[in-house]
Amino acid sequence: MSRMVTKTNDPTERFFEALATHGHEPLLRKGAGSTRFEIVDGKRTLRWLVTVEKGDISVSRRNGPADCVVRAQKALFDRIVTGKMNAVAAVLRGDLEINGDWRLLVWMQRLFPGRHGRRRTGTAGYARRRR
Amino acid sequence: MSENVVKILDGNTFVVSDERGDIEASLTDPTGLFSFDTRFLSRWVLTINGERLGALSVDDLQYFETRFFLVPGTGTVYIDAKLSVIRQRSVANGFHEDLTILNHADKSVSLTVRVDAACDFADLFEVKDALKKKGKYSTSTRGGKLVLGYDRGPFSRATEISATKSARVDDQGLTFRVRIPAHGEWSVGLDVVTAKLGAGQAPTKAADPARVRARMARNLDRWVSDAPRLECDWDPLKRTYRRSLVDLAALRFSPPIAGGRSLPAAGLPWFMTMFGRDSIFTSLQALPFTPELAATTLRALGDWQGVRLDDFRDEDPGRILHEMRYGEMTAFEERPHSPYYGSVDATPLYVILLDEYERWTGDRAIVRELEVEARAALAWIDDYADIPGGTGYIWYQRRNEKTGLENQCWKDSWDSISYRDGSLPGFPRATCELQGYAYDAKVRGARLARLVWKDEELAAKLERDADDLKRRFNRDYWVEDGEYFALALDQNGRQVDALGSNNGHLLWSGIVDKSKSRAVARHLLGPRLFSGWGVRTLAEGEARYNPIGYHVGTVWPFDNSVVAWGLRRYGFKHEAAEIASGILEAAEFFDGRLPEAFGGYERSQTKYPVQYPTACSPQAWSTGTPLLLLRTMLGLEPHGDHLVVDPALSRGIGHLELLDIPGRWGRLDAFGRGRVEVGRRHR
Repeated sequence: MSRMVTKTNDPTERFFEALATHGHEPLLRKGAGSTRFEIVDGKRTLRWLVTVEKGDISVSRRNGPADCVVRAQKALFDRIVTGKMNAVAAVLRGDLEINGDWRLLVWMQRLFPGRHGRRRTGTAGYARRRR
Repeated sequence: MSENVVKILDGNTFVVSDERGDIEASLTDPTGLFSFDTRFLSRWVLTINGERLGALSVDDLQYFETRFFLVPGTGTVYIDAKLSVIRQRSVANGFHEDLTILNHADKSVSLTVRVDAACDFADLFEVKDALKKKGKYSTSTRGGKLVLGYDRGPFSRATEISATKSARVDDQGLTFRVRIPAHGEWSVGLDVVTAKLGAGQAPTKAADPARVRARMARNLDRWVSDAPRLECDWDPLKRTYRRSLVDLAALRFSPPIAGGRSLPAAGLPWFMTMFGRDSIFTSLQALPFTPELAATTLRALGDWQGVRLDDFRDEDPGRILHEMRYGEMTAFEERPHSPYYGSVDATPLYVILLDEYERWTGDRAIVRELEVEARAALAWIDDYADIPGGTGYIWYQRRNEKTGLENQCWKDSWDSISYRDGSLPGFPRATCELQGYAYDAKVRGARLARLVWKDEELAAKLERDADDLKRRFNRDYWVEDGEYFALALDQNGRQVDALGSNNGHLLWSGIVDKSKSRAVARHLLGPRLFSGWGVRTLAEGEARYNPIGYHVGTVWPFDNSVVAWGLRRYGFKHEAAEIASGILEAAEFFDGRLPEAFGGYERSQTKYPVQYPTACSPQAWSTGTPLLLLRTMLGLEPHGDHLVVDPALSRGIGHLELLDIPGRWGRLDAFGRGRVEVGRRHR
């Protein structure tokens, strides 16, 4: 029972679950290849293989060969998939290890949410002047 | 810092040293070996028997290779050396240095040759702002190598220094005990390798310097021979053209995601990275000469296009990046450059470049390939750039108020946008040239939508929006009593009414009503803006005008190339030639390498253009300037599958030929004659 709850609330698991049902993503239409995510959680390593073919995304737990391997600690990856941390900065820092074609990650990182964002809104002064 | 700095580079790996080849950097002194925005060597000092060396001469062999001729001792007038030293250095996964010592005496000598080495692993931003490091340093000597390291959590960088001959290696360098026979010589190869580069890059090893040199030399030869050939009766122009091509080759940068293809970085050495605005403008300038730069720029910037709202990075969906950096401060989010999106012109300029590229090359495949990006860029103009809402204009106001950019247009210094009386407007601001770019992006976007995406509805909408924008713009920005367009609208929608070179960009974009164009052209060539060398950024007579103020009076070659292009667009071909003439004559004073900016002094007053001191030379869009001026002088314009040539040459040029111009027509030649001789009229 408690395991069920943990699973549904787990950010990383939820991210890949959502990705599996995402289907076609135009932002990834140029990406072709597979990325294996190796998420290290204490002594175990969780693996997901994400394959992109002209924007069509499929996700499996197979441990097959991949064009790009991304490796990270789970606590850190949880923060990335919830928009608390930027993936590119994590790569530059060495927190997110990449082996292989890192174009795949550049495309994939577009699916991670942003840190904080709000739009600028209207300026009263200008509104007064409008005809 | 020494005035005589020597720079060599390959992509974003570069070495800056003094004229002896030595590096003695401090945190604020920008010399050293740099790669991916990190300094990998901050001290590199050669001594012989404990004595420093003096420079006889420096040979800049290629942009990636230099030779230093040295003798023992410094600062003496009279040199009677029994030894000469040659350091030949080339960039290769760090750098390789061949050190040769010649003994001119008729008896043998015993020498202690010492190279001191150290590294502070400073981020480029730290060099600029003199900040303290937060990580830990390490040094080790193993296997005849000196390994310098820096670690801050998972962030790890290392430099490995080794020699081809046996050396005594200690924590501060390498020592060689050398005996050179009478009239003999001794040499050693030194490798300084950026062993841990980070930035997702695999660990590197020393490269075979001869092979790297040969590859780079071949690549440069091919680059120059692939470009159109220039023939003319004015030799300085030929030199300037050649200089531009070679500098453009040096400025090529392959971002890690571009699959080995290159785009123009912004400036050498400090801006060897992807910039939205600079990469796009340089690609536009170089389009008739090296169209492949534009293709890579479009693809790479498209890959990094914004997808989310992120205040720290000033990112919005559809926005094109401003600048990408790879160093420690970016990695730890002390700077937002991963990438940073704080420019508002790069996004409309992206659509303009895509269209202009198709017009020249006929490459419709890339227009299809980048349809999603181009549509998102067009949507950004309407959905995110109109900050007050309902105005239909592009505005800027940073959301990252700590480390973001305050001014997000090309004139990005604090005082560049002012009223006539010198006071500064608040934010948001809507500078005028941005509205021109938006107009042009919509017009060109409509053409692409109709021609390639087969979306008549979008095309019609963009055309309606463009017409509407043009109508409102000509009403809201026109300064009646001055007969020019205001620099900007302020936060209250009031005109920021100073006169600036931005008016020329408006001509280029086509947003100017035909009836107003003559008055604008008169200003651009008039005494307040035109110095005799070029158009000043801000007109003489404005309160903030200063002939050596960065964006408030200096003459920018890049700016002038766009102004000349704009004048041509409205049929002012002789006025365009006048500007080409001034800028190209100025180039002669800089050996064909135009600086970023020079003083706005009256030409008759100084007789020569006074260079504005800047850290970067060559600067990409200054390098591209002679190319665009050649285009405007010859009146080159793609028209369907043809290349229209309609020359109006600058004074002093009797004939001008540009041979093998690449484009959708294959290769074509263009000829021009005489000062004002008019070729075929097509407009």
